[in-house]
Amino acid sequence: MATTLVDNAALFTILSSLADNKQTIGRRYAFWCNGAPALEAAVAAAAMTQDELGHARTLYPLLADFAQGQADLSQLDPMTRTLHHHLSYLDHDFRGWSDFVATNFLLDTALTTFFEAAQNSSYEPLRQRSRKIVQEERVHFMHAEGWVRRLAKAGGAVRATLIASLQRLWDETLCWFGPQDDPIMLRLYNEGIIDAMPDELRHRYLRKIMPILNELNIDVPVAFDATTKRWMPGQSLPWETWGVLARRTGET
Amino acid sequence: MTSIKAGAAQATGERGRREALNESRVWHVFARRKYEEPLHEIGNVMADDVELAQVYARSIYDEFSWVEMVLVPRDAIVTVIAS
Repeated sequence: MATTLVDNAALFTILSSLADNKQTIGRRYAFWCNGAPALEAAVAAAAMTQDELGHARTLYPLLADFAQGQADLSQLDPMTRTLHHHLSYLDHDFRGWSDFVATNFLLDTALTTFFEAAQNSSYEPLRQRSRKIVQEERVHFMHAEGWVRRLAKAGGAVRATLIASLQRLWDETLCWFGPQDDPIMLRLYNEGIIDAMPDELRHRYLRKIMPILNELNIDVPVAFDATTKRWMPGQSLPWETWGVLARRTGET
Repeated sequence: MTSIKAGAAQATGERGRREALNESRVWHVFARRKYEEPLHEIGNVMADDVELAQVYARSIYDEFSWVEMVLVPRDAIVTVIAS
């Protein structure tokens, strides 16, 4: 029986990126299931690995429902997929535990911000998955916040290593939402698939993480407009090396 | 000799970093599977703050679908009788 394929290149692009990022985060987390600083943290890492791979596993099958996915069916399965639309930060193994913490705190929280914006999505499969993912990610954010505090308060080399990890991931994470005139996000917004445009998503994201970073005196390039009470990047983002389809830097 | 000293210093540094991250606070974990059952102690976790303690307890003691799980910091327990 023939089923009607969804014809939406923008949604296909975003779902591909979400799935690839979740899959790769899971793989990177997996390395730390027996290498975390404490036994409790290692067990939590294993649970979070399962969650992230589970999120990817619910997203990849959606790609098969799209007209855009029919040209090359091997790209729909993570086992055969050769496209890697995850952040370049995830291209290599984490250098240390601070990369795990930074990924959880910055990147995974950014993806959760997107899922929060899709909880009333007009695209039902994303709506359903978003609500479940947002629920599970609450625990991940508690883990992220707890570990950012611990590493920052440890001072010395531990704090410096955390800050280096945060800095390496910072720009690329903010870029993931796209420029404000991103045609992909614009289409998702216009079709009711998400409820906000990139600048608003970045504001919502920064509103979540900045109180913690400010409390810990960790400097990051952001600006807060006291009049509008809105957060925004404090310096221009590296759009010249960012690819709108792969949604990662290092593309040009 | 220099390399041995350097190695020892590095090892001390590593140990120092790890000690700086050591959890020192013990939390007793209580849970129950049915509302009609009392909470009972199922184990403990070590974490310096309550948020991480919650994350650890959820991930370590996930063998059942608990209807309730609570944490009690060991340093809040008042001993009444000790033999």
